[in-house]
Amino acid sequence: MQTLLMHLNTNNDMFKLNLTIALRNLWKNKTSSMINVSGLAIGLASCMLLLLYVSYEWSFNKQTKDDKNVYQVMINFDGPAGSISGTGTSTPNTIAPALKETYPAVKAASRIGDADTRLIANGRNSFKKIGRFADADILKIFDYTFIAGDEATALNAPNNIVVTASTAKLLFGTTDVLNRSVRFEDRVNLKITGVIRDLPDNTSIKLDYLMPWTLFENLYEWTKRPMWTNNNWTTLVRLNPDANAEMLNASIKGMIKKHVADATSSPMIFPFSRVHLYGTFTEGKSTGGEIEQLRLFMGLAIGILLIACINFMNMATAKSEKRAKEVGIKKTIGATRASLISQFLIESLVLTLCSAVMAIVLVEVFLPLFNNLLGIKMNIVYANPYLWMSLIGIVLFTGVVAGSYPAFYLSSFNPLQVLRKRRSGRGMWSVSLRQVLVVVQFTFAVILIISTTVIYRQIQYLKNIPLGYDVNQLVELPQDGQLEAKFELLKERLMKSGAIQGICQLSGSMADYNSNFWGMEWPGSTETDRHMVFSQLATTYDFAKTTGLKLVEGRDFSRQFSSDTSAMMLSVSAVKVMNLVHPIGKIVKYQGDLRRVVGVFQDFIWGAPYRKQDPMVVAFRKEGTGYVTLRLNPANTPSANLAVVERIVKDINPAYPVEFKFVDELYGQKLKSQKILGLLSNIFGGLAIFISCLGLFGLAAYSAEQRTKEIGVRKVLGASVANLMQLLSLGFLKMVVLAIVIAIPVANYMMNSWLKKFDFHTGISWMIIVMAAIGTIAIALLTVSYQAYKAAKANPVDALKYE
Amino acid sequence: MIKLQNIEKYYAAKGLKSYILRHVSTTINQGEFVSIMGPSGAGKSTLLNILGMLEEPTYGTYEFMGEDVTSLNERKRIELYRNHIGFVFQAYHLIDEMTVAENIEAPLLYKKIGSAERRSRVADMLDRFNIVGKKDLFPNQLSGGQQQLVGIARALAAQPSIILADEPTGNLQSAQALQIMDLFKKLNEEENITVIQVTHSEVNAGYGSRILHLLDGVIKEDVNLSESLKP
Ligand SMILES: Nc1ncnc2c1ncn2[C@@H]1O[C@H](COP(=O)(O)OP(=O)(O)OP(=O)(O)O)[C@@H](O)[C@H]1O
Ligand SMILES: [Mg+2]
Repeated sequence: MQTLLMHLNTNNDMFKLNLTIALRNLWKNKTSSMINVSGLAIGLASCMLLLLYVSYEWSFNKQTKDDKNVYQVMINFDGPAGSISGTGTSTPNTIAPALKETYPAVKAASRIGDADTRLIANGRNSFKKIGRFADADILKIFDYTFIAGDEATALNAPNNIVVTASTAKLLFGTTDVLNRSVRFEDRVNLKITGVIRDLPDNTSIKLDYLMPWTLFENLYEWTKRPMWTNNNWTTLVRLNPDANAEMLNASIKGMIKKHVADATSSPMIFPFSRVHLYGTFTEGKSTGGEIEQLRLFMGLAIGILLIACINFMNMATAKSEKRAKEVGIKKTIGATRASLISQFLIESLVLTLCSAVMAIVLVEVFLPLFNNLLGIKMNIVYANPYLWMSLIGIVLFTGVVAGSYPAFYLSSFNPLQVLRKRRSGRGMWSVSLRQVLVVVQFTFAVILIISTTVIYRQIQYLKNIPLGYDVNQLVELPQDGQLEAKFELLKERLMKSGAIQGICQLSGSMADYNSNFWGMEWPGSTETDRHMVFSQLATTYDFAKTTGLKLVEGRDFSRQFSSDTSAMMLSVSAVKVMNLVHPIGKIVKYQGDLRRVVGVFQDFIWGAPYRKQDPMVVAFRKEGTGYVTLRLNPANTPSANLAVVERIVKDINPAYPVEFKFVDELYGQKLKSQKILGLLSNIFGGLAIFISCLGLFGLAAYSAEQRTKEIGVRKVLGASVANLMQLLSLGFLKMVVLAIVIAIPVANYMMNSWLKKFDFHTGISWMIIVMAAIGTIAIALLTVSYQAYKAAKANPVDALKYE
Repeated sequence: MIKLQNIEKYYAAKGLKSYILRHVSTTINQGEFVSIMGPSGAGKSTLLNILGMLEEPTYGTYEFMGEDVTSLNERKRIELYRNHIGFVFQAYHLIDEMTVAENIEAPLLYKKIGSAERRSRVADMLDRFNIVGKKDLFPNQLSGGQQQLVGIARALAAQPSIILADEPTGNLQSAQALQIMDLFKKLNEEENITVIQVTHSEVNAGYGSRILHLLDGVIKEDVNLSESLKP
């Protein structure tokens, strides 16, 4: 017992001594230690931020208990010959009740309205917040945490409202607001029957307050009608745990067609937690989505950490050569290999630990900025065990990997070897390993430089693709209630007000692809041509004038030609695929009617900007339009214009809220994920390059220091500063050049396959590659030559005095 | 204490064996003070390294304290280093990052000696070598002679039964060298520590009791001073 205690004690003392030595070493090489620790910290912080983002996206819509049983109803649209031409997330208002009624597997089903900001007020204290209408079942689908109120009955009466804690605080200054009254949209008073905890940021169903669907139907009479083909709302369902989604899908497929014989849509349920990341559908099957980008970020995170680890390892091994002597001496005075291994490992773990602490601080400091850039709200949940597990895992991994070279390699030496030749630690193997690591690091950095540039250029390119119409000052609003019947009045009053320059009604939004069809016939069309898919918009007058669409041939629909009520316009690509040589005046059979082509317009971007646009038909139709599109008068400020418009619209259509949307903003949304990719790859690509250079800087400093004696001797022998700088820089330069040579084809391949996803894309010009190469060499040279210069300028006597 | 039998050491280069040591056989008893002499390249350091188990002979047997140590496993060798052998190097080989006191203490830590005992031994050594005032300095703050004193103090702290020293005074001025030699002699005589040193200096060798003359890897002469030359 006594000896055991003593044994532990001496071990402990040894540990303390080793730690002291480690700290002295750190202090003695302050610059390199700083470089080492902060480089790793930056790498760790970058990795953490990226992984935080990845996990944010990954856990999207997964906060609910048993989220696996929650499904979103999607709508598949028929294409030609039994195919599916598209899949949408908007559903009719009939699906949820029908599903719940008919299928026992469906435990709960709810319609959920749009996430519009609507006015909510406590007396004069009023705010525009996201209010959603939903069936009471939503509370069975999600497990919102009720701070107050009864989950079972909260949404049961039409004049109930459930608010989030922060909404309650905003309105009343407290969450103790049960049974208080709020006024909604200045139209009805609602009784607060529930206060729920704020929702996480990464959910598709964001809301600040929740109201019963029955209220929606009371406020907006038209929504009471069962509409099987009017896709306007979100539908979510929760299945029983033992339900078979496959089978359910098979049986609900014909649901809409059963009610509306000529319907072209069929519902399908899809896991709600997958909608966000796997939301790209072809032929009604998920074929990926944001997940691809997420994988890219994961790769970036690991890559940056790797770069930082390589730095750390390189510096550790470089320094350990200097410590070969220490190893040799310790061995001759009785150190075991195990004690040396543990000493080096502990040292590197202490360093990594410092870096980790610094990284957490960095993440905390930069997280708000990062959130701001991405427009999201992430935070570090310190109570999350996974966070700590992964952090400890990373620290252990980095520490062990970085410390393993000195630990295992140096400790294996025969003491005589290390003591006799001063630099025996610098065997062939270690030098070439370090060179390999530097090459790997810079390869990654160069790949990043090239990729970031290509991504940036592609985004610029997409931004600059001509839209085909003038998106600025263009505003649209849903053509609800009276706006359809009283459209002419609306038009007259708005035009007279001077707030707008043009107005037209459209069957869908200008900013989003929303309708297509097939089965059109035209002079010379064949049977297979009937399967050709066209996109379609219906409108009345002034379409081209309002949107600024360019007409290539013919004219816009016009009142001067009464026959225009059964006319149509074709896009340039439609004319091309239809093989019409002289399109104007041709008679085309569209949706069963014969129509005359009066105009041909330049294709405009309706769907994704990077996709080829489908050939398009714009037909004249008075009924069933859904949007009013306005061109504001640029002579006034937009807000002044909108105030006027709002007053007039409200006057004509008092029952509905006025919901403007700027088309350019809607359009901007389309490139959101590309922009995030661009942003993140810029930031973290830059950081990766910075960390690489930091490593190079440290290595150059070390190499210069290690060669002080050689430099001194050479100087005494008459070498010039330039000679010496060349001597010191050349080796590093060679590695960087090798990295560039490796990186170019890899980056080229990667970026080419990335660009292939876009129908419209830039190429990878030689300029980019040459610039990346020159830039990298320049940065590396700058980094190295500073150290080389310092070493070369030093007084040789100082260098030779030692030894 | 040491028994070498037919030790040979050669390096094979391009198929040619170049012998460093040939047929070296000798016995060194506890309490002897042996100097190994000979021209440069004769194999003195090699012999000492073999004695210190830092190198293995290509042929022959080596018994240390009655045990065959010709090819010893690492664990056993470390045991010997901890308990019996103290090295003193020409280039001092102190650990640069440790203070004087820590350098002296290091082998005691490996020997797992309790802290009280350690403290008293370190204090004892500092005292004995008159370097108490320097105990918190780092090696690069000491003169060469002082560094070698610390090196010897470190070797002695673990209370070895043998000290192996390769040109311990090679980097020192003669006055300092003599001081070191005096010390070795005293250790040898008062504490019965076996000392084996490599030296080029007849004067240094004169402090010992026996000289092995090495020439081209062969022991040419084995002179016992205590009988022939000592007054
Ligand atoms: N690893 C090796 N490979 C080949 N030859 C070696 C090696 N190590 C030592 N030698 C050779 O062995 C011979 C003896 O070397 P050693 O160091 O023992 O000489 P020494 O007697 O100590 O000389 P000095 O007085 O100069 O220190 C030398 O000729 C040397 O070149
Ligand atoms: Mg020698």
